[in-house]
Amino acid sequence: VAQAAGPMTTPVREVGTESEVSADLPWDVIVWDDPVNLMSYVVFVFKRVFGFPDHLAQKLMLEVHEQGKALVASEPREQAEGHVHALHGYGLRATMERAS
Amino acid sequence: VNGTFSRHGDRIRMQLRPPEAELLQRLAGELRTSLDTPEPDDPVHSRLFPPAVLGDPVADREVRDLLADALLADRLTGLTAVLELLERGRRSRGRLVVELREDEPLLVLGVLNDIRLAIGARIDIEALDRDRVRENDPVAYPIAVMDHLGWWQEQLLAILDGRDEVA
Repeated sequence: VAQAAGPMTTPVREVGTESEVSADLPWDVIVWDDPVNLMSYVVFVFKRVFGFPDHLAQKLMLEVHEQGKALVASEPREQAEGHVHALHGYGLRATMERAS
Repeated sequence: VNGTFSRHGDRIRMQLRPPEAELLQRLAGELRTSLDTPEPDDPVHSRLFPPAVLGDPVADREVRDLLADALLADRLTGLTAVLELLERGRRSRGRLVVELREDEPLLVLGVLNDIRLAIGARIDIEALDRDRVRENDPVAYPIAVMDHLGWWQEQLLAILDGRDEVA
């Protein structure tokens, strides 16, 4: 995320391994860092999409910023799809994957 | 208050200088055209419609197909709405003044973000070292535009979060 439109590190994408997983395992929703979305914007989106309190939204935004990604939800597939949809609508890089 | 956005009761006022209004109109129009008639391998399209599922290409295709139409429709709706807002604006003291009501500030916020993402994708900002960009570099202007629109976003966010001073 961009604090003052400065460069950020490119997120290192981890490709999840396709393994024998139970269909009822939750799906993890992950938000990835990018150099364009503003820090304040990401916090705003987290609060709006997930209803997170300010301190949690700030914490997760900083995790994205400093570690390249943050796990923001772990939930059934349909809900995860809804959240990924909403996050993509706001322009955040978000993916879902089966929880390991 | 000399900002681009200011709160006035239940409205948020957007005040743009003529070059700013022209810039926003042009960028929103260009993005709408680009989304309406996507070209193969367009980096803007890839950025605005990114991968959804990691580690499972089949599921990724399923989810992206599921979301694509709605995401595109929402983006086009927002861009069209912002272009209409600019048409609706009145001239006052050399500025274009637009009163934003209800969900319109959010639409503007989202469109500003989409435009910045689109510019970033076009100049491959992920691979760019901003510290090495010089004034006469071809990417200097697009970066300046991104920063300017980012400043607008910051103002809007402060108002939407209640961090602004009441006008």
